[in-house]
Amino acid sequence: MTVWLVVLVAGALSYLFRWVPAVLVDRMRPVAALDRASAYAVPVTFAAVAAGAVAARCAAAPNGAAALAPLGAVVAAVVAVRRTGSSYAGIAAGMPVLWALEALLT
Amino acid sequence: MDVATYVPAEADGRADAPGFGTGVRAMAGWLPGMALYGLVVGVMAGRADVPALAGWVLGPAVFSGGAQVAALDLLGHGAAPAVVVVTVLAVNARLIVYSATLGSHWRTLPGRWRALAAYLLVDPSFAVGLDGYEHGDHRGAHAHYLGGAAALWVTWLTASAVGVLAAGRLPVGLGLEFVMPLFLLGEAQRRLTSPTARVACAVAVGVVLVGTSIPLRLGLLVAIGAGLAVAVARDGEGGR
Repeated sequence: MTVWLVVLVAGALSYLFRWVPAVLVDRMRPVAALDRASAYAVPVTFAAVAAGAVAARCAAAPNGAAALAPLGAVVAAVVAVRRTGSSYAGIAAGMPVLWALEALLT
Repeated sequence: MDVATYVPAEADGRADAPGFGTGVRAMAGWLPGMALYGLVVGVMAGRADVPALAGWVLGPAVFSGGAQVAALDLLGHGAAPAVVVVTVLAVNARLIVYSATLGSHWRTLPGRWRALAAYLLVDPSFAVGLDGYEHGDHRGAHAHYLGGAAALWVTWLTASAVGVLAAGRLPVGLGLEFVMPLFLLGEAQRRLTSPTARVACAVAVGVVLVGTSIPLRLGLLVAIGAGLAVAVARDGEGGR
């Protein structure tokens, strides 16, 4: 019962995060800064979310050496995306590097 | 060698006016990665120490992979309900930025449309929708957003259902949840088409790394705010 209550409350409040700002924006005059920010919202938020997840994985590593595995995967992914322009190339390059380094360093 | 300039689907020479179908096609590039991520989240739900159905319902309720992963991990370890809810909200705080950004395009729309559009708002639908609003006519862009968001929703819930059902059959320890940060990193990298974008992202990443000790996992929201503030300041000074 508690789990279901948590799911419902988390869902309802998450929905408010999605809905309330959109409604409030309707009641405010357009803000030029918000328009300028929107052009950068995707790369900034995606970079921040990705960096947070990588940092969390490094922090959860069983030892200091194994913490290098996610970083190595990121380097491989960045190079692959730079060469191909494809995010899927980043996954294809990064995941094998992650697995190999974690196998070697753990 | 510079990263290829990001070209949204509607600006690459295709003749299609933006609409529901173009939104679905624009989202198609995201769907393999999201399907894999959804599968991973479904497997987590199936293996966590919670009812499998409740773990799956977290999908349509919260509709955010990062928040679902965090919630399943905490629920599986018996965390207090308030801690789970606050963590979900902290991870989902970025949705406030998305909602405020797209909300400015939804001003003239009926309340029920905005209510539905808001429910479907998450990282990929935000990216696809924003592309449509910035590169197409407004009326078609609304349908473009809904098409992409609906395709994502169906894919996500289906993939996570498969993951729940297959949880006992898949190998443990593959770390497939790392697919999503790699994918988001690639999508961010493809959009670093100006010095301002690069500086703003660098600031956001730096603040995230420094802000890991900020309570309630609010470091992510602080980082996003810092990055956007730098971007707006540089943009306002005419520096692109």
